[in-house]
Amino acid sequence: MSETSVTGAPRRLHIDRISGAVFVVIALLVAWENRAYPLGTLSEPGPGYMPLGLAIALGAFGLLIVLRGGASPLFDTIDWTEGRRAIVLLIACGVAAFALGHLGYRLTTIALLVFMLGVIERKRPLVTLLMAFGFAFISYFVFATLLKVQLPQGPWGL
Amino acid sequence: MEGVLSNLLLGFSVALTPSILAYAFAGCVIGTLVGMLPGLGPLAGISLLLPATFGLNPIIAIVLLAGVYYGAMYGGSTTSILMRIPGEAASVMTCIDGYAMTQRGRAGPALAIAAIGSFAAGTLSVIALMFLAPTLASFALRFGPPEYTALLVMGLLVLSYMSGGSMVKTLTMAVAGLLFGMIGIDAMSGYTRFSYGVIELSDGIGIVPVAVGLFGVSEIMLTAGQPTPPPVQKPTLRQLVPSRDELRMSVGPIVRGSVLGFLIGIIPGSAHIISSFVSYGIERRMSAHPERFGNGAIEGVAGPESANNAAATGAFVPMLALGIPTGPVTAVMLAAIMVHGILPGPMLIVEQPELFWGFVASMYVGNVVLLILNLPLVGVFVNLLRIPYSYLYPAILCFCILGVYSVASSVVDVWIMLGMGGLGYILRKFGYDLAPIALGLVLAPMLELSVRQSLAMSGGSFEIFFQRPIAVTMFVVAGVLILLALRPLVFKSKDWRAEVGLDEQG
Repeated sequence: MSETSVTGAPRRLHIDRISGAVFVVIALLVAWENRAYPLGTLSEPGPGYMPLGLAIALGAFGLLIVLRGGASPLFDTIDWTEGRRAIVLLIACGVAAFALGHLGYRLTTIALLVFMLGVIERKRPLVTLLMAFGFAFISYFVFATLLKVQLPQGPWGL
Repeated sequence: MEGVLSNLLLGFSVALTPSILAYAFAGCVIGTLVGMLPGLGPLAGISLLLPATFGLNPIIAIVLLAGVYYGAMYGGSTTSILMRIPGEAASVMTCIDGYAMTQRGRAGPALAIAAIGSFAAGTLSVIALMFLAPTLASFALRFGPPEYTALLVMGLLVLSYMSGGSMVKTLTMAVAGLLFGMIGIDAMSGYTRFSYGVIELSDGIGIVPVAVGLFGVSEIMLTAGQPTPPPVQKPTLRQLVPSRDELRMSVGPIVRGSVLGFLIGIIPGSAHIISSFVSYGIERRMSAHPERFGNGAIEGVAGPESANNAAATGAFVPMLALGIPTGPVTAVMLAAIMVHGILPGPMLIVEQPELFWGFVASMYVGNVVLLILNLPLVGVFVNLLRIPYSYLYPAILCFCILGVYSVASSVVDVWIMLGMGGLGYILRKFGYDLAPIALGLVLAPMLELSVRQSLAMSGGSFEIFFQRPIAVTMFVVAGVLILLALRPLVFKSKDWRAEVGLDEQG
């Protein structure tokens, strides 16, 4: 990850410079979106007053982080060893969240656990299935039956 | 003094009857179990049990619910320490050093100190409640919008100054949290802000999905993919018990956390959440070895846990003395009393002394029951860590989804949790503290309301913040903190954080 300086030599990016710049951009976006809400007056501040103030503060802090970011570690030094699995886990949970409303709690939990234990962790099929079914049904019993939490139902009432 | 003691005797004669003790025990057990489930905190536990108390006599009802309250508070700490999943905002600080202690094989002492700290704080707060309730309640009522603004600003600055890394980065995170808190309906104008048509966002973003995502999910993302998984822990009996040094180091934080938590807890609103954050900051600042914080310092568990528990007791002061609920939990408790035709308020002590003093005594009994119940259970809870991480993390992730969904039966909350998990993962890679986001989110509605009300009161003049003694005092403290933070820039001297390798990075 590098950018090119005016002299043509590659320049390394510092993590604080990157994150600070992202905060400045977010601050600008918030300020832009905040146009939809009235600012009001000082004696009667409107719904846009506080978000704009916070966006200005975020932008200012972001700028400070960029300006003082030269001493921070380089982006290249961040270790992303676990990154791929982290993304896979997050996507799997995202798919489960989407499926929750369609497949119901128990089927979704079984599918998610089978994926994580069987596919990602490569556990034995019997152990995987026992744990997936056991977790799904016991947790459903505790939350839905004992604690009366409304959990989504899927096909066949599962 | 004599009157208080004789009244307390009356209270204990009520609270120590076998049936009351049995209900206190049952409440603590149910509360601990409910609190351990991610997403279900004290409010859910009390709400679930509320209908069951309608047929009971009022003292038993309040003792049972108080037991659930304390139990759930402690149960929430257990998941924070063992799995880095805070069930609510008050447990956020506990999971930083509590989980670090777990990783170092000191989960047992962390849980034990959390139980002991909660007990000591609860006891000290009950004593304060007995003697100071009416006086403190009237002091709390002097808090108007300018005082709230000052308190909240001071709380954010105290946390930022005393946190480990760069003050600028911490403040950035706090502002980001405040911005998250702007999502949803504006209480003063009715405008729905930044919800982009998602109905579930109209109510704003809840603290549970944010805290579980930032701390629990991001931790799993960081750990699950490591080439070498965390080792399975098989703690011996000796490792379950705090060492003499750990006990000695915890005394100061417990006492300071108790006083601080009680004083902040009596203030109506969500201000009590600041107590655990401020306690953590103060302990870190006072420590001779601040570099230990974040890496498993027992003071980082003892202080916030005590402050949190003391604040829970402090919250009962306005409720009992004035009949004002300070938050959702006390509001439900108030409802439980009122169902029986009893009106809490200044006349409660005079008209229903056995109820008032019975309640005060039962709070003490509840604390004792909780300690007796939980210290032996430390060993049971720690056994969870014997499960290999490759089996544990899929179950934790499923619990996170289940717990967050249960709060409002909302899939959007699950999406928010996952989004926060990803955000937390990236922010941790870039060296940012996550706790200020949680604090900012919780305080945002209160801060906005108090700022706008203050300006409306003064006709748009900011002078109102400097005309009232309590607000001025707190702003002076905030100003001093800013000056202290700027000192290294002006005098080229080293910041205290630099000495411990936590120098300004931003």
